[in-house]
Amino acid sequence: MKLKLTAIEALTPGISKFTLAPLEGTKLPPAGAGSHIVLEIPGPARMWKNAYSITSASDAPVYEIIVRRVEKSRGGSAWLHNHAKAGDVLEVHSPQNLFAPVRLAKRHLLLSAGIGITPFLSYLKLPDLAYELHHCCKPEDESAFAALLPKGANVTIHTSRHTLDVEALLKRQKLDTHVSVCGPESFMDMVLATTAHVGWPRLKLHKESFGGATGGAPFSAVLKRSGVILQVGPEESLLDALEAANFSPPCLCRGGACGECKITVLEGTPDHHDHYLSDVEKAAGNAIMICVSRAKTSELVLDF
Amino acid sequence: MSASRPLYAPFALNPEGRAHLIVTSLPAAPEGLEDSLANIEVWTVKHGGQGVPLPVIDGVRSWRSTTELLAQLGHRLGREAAGLRLYAIGSEAFVWDAYKTAIGAGLHPSEISLHRSGAFVRRVYCTHCRSIIEDVPANVVQCPTCEAHLFVRDHFSRRLAAFMGVKVDAEIPGEIPEPEVFTS
Repeated sequence: MKLKLTAIEALTPGISKFTLAPLEGTKLPPAGAGSHIVLEIPGPARMWKNAYSITSASDAPVYEIIVRRVEKSRGGSAWLHNHAKAGDVLEVHSPQNLFAPVRLAKRHLLLSAGIGITPFLSYLKLPDLAYELHHCCKPEDESAFAALLPKGANVTIHTSRHTLDVEALLKRQKLDTHVSVCGPESFMDMVLATTAHVGWPRLKLHKESFGGATGGAPFSAVLKRSGVILQVGPEESLLDALEAANFSPPCLCRGGACGECKITVLEGTPDHHDHYLSDVEKAAGNAIMICVSRAKTSELVLDF
Repeated sequence: MSASRPLYAPFALNPEGRAHLIVTSLPAAPEGLEDSLANIEVWTVKHGGQGVPLPVIDGVRSWRSTTELLAQLGHRLGREAAGLRLYAIGSEAFVWDAYKTAIGAGLHPSEISLHRSGAFVRRVYCTHCRSIIEDVPANVVQCPTCEAHLFVRDHFSRRLAAFMGVKVDAEIPGEIPEPEVFTS
């Protein structure tokens, strides 16, 4: 669908809020708490498709997203920060929800770092959500995040990871609490390791992982069934390369989380960067999540 | 065996837990726990205590009835912190009552393990008058409330923690088959 960019507001030098409104005479599909949208962003050589959490309430008349300008931006966030202007019309894919709050949980412990706060901003707009939020950010970003968050004893902003004692926090939670976590890889890894250490059940832990797509060495992808050989450049993903060649492989989150884009590997060794495959599946090396994972060998033969 | 009948694994401590609470409708806990280094607490049920609360002996807390145990379990789980694993051991009715209590307290199924032990008796739900009949040893039983003769089907309700009992002589009134003792 086409949506119009109606406002851009800089929250910090590197983080801005973008408001997307429906074109006249149309209505937005509802987007429950935790949903994200994929924006098609024009780049100099090709189109970027980036996923962003919706931070506005599920019944808001517009979608709001908050975007950090990634330092080594592949193109998407840099364009939004440098070139997008109010009035631009963008192609936006309908919202998907891979991170809805667990309805069975009586209490939610929300842990976020940096731009990982974004899915929780829609959670906090739910009526009657019993939660405790701990957010980690750089000292210079504290006031910007504080302005986005409700004031209350159940919201704490940490400007140093040392003031957030995750182990003590988890150990004092009641049995009716679920943990949700969103943030950079190192933050997620730390929380995951701590939950295992304190005996937190895996199924009461929910994580949102986006932005796992990083560049790497170029490689060739041999599409066995299609009879095509693609070159995957150092700055693009296998999914990007397939789409650039006019294929439409199934995909949803574009961040290695949802499992939708799994493709069978026939030859070659994948370099896994996803959060979907189990360690055993990764070691088996016969499947790849094409949105984030790359190749350890110069060539991958895919059943596609 | 009916698809509604749950399967039970042999009892074993879940190494993921930091603390373990074992509740049983039997008078004693499983053997071998005393050698474990884990943080374990055991609750049992002992009948015939003359109505007074029972002392804690060797760290084992005994309740006077499963009803008392389950009521205390709800309070206890409401105060407990994350990292606990709950184990219920005993009759099918008891372990599923404990399961319901634990789910009500917010535990996830992965934090609870159930183990069937003791005599093969069933809780039966009379599908006609909705009475509950405890400790039924065989597959034909008369409902004490509506007096219907019931056939105990292999159909287990986790919500009621009971097996369904349906009128056994609905087609030919008065024709009651010989009861067969449960072997599972």
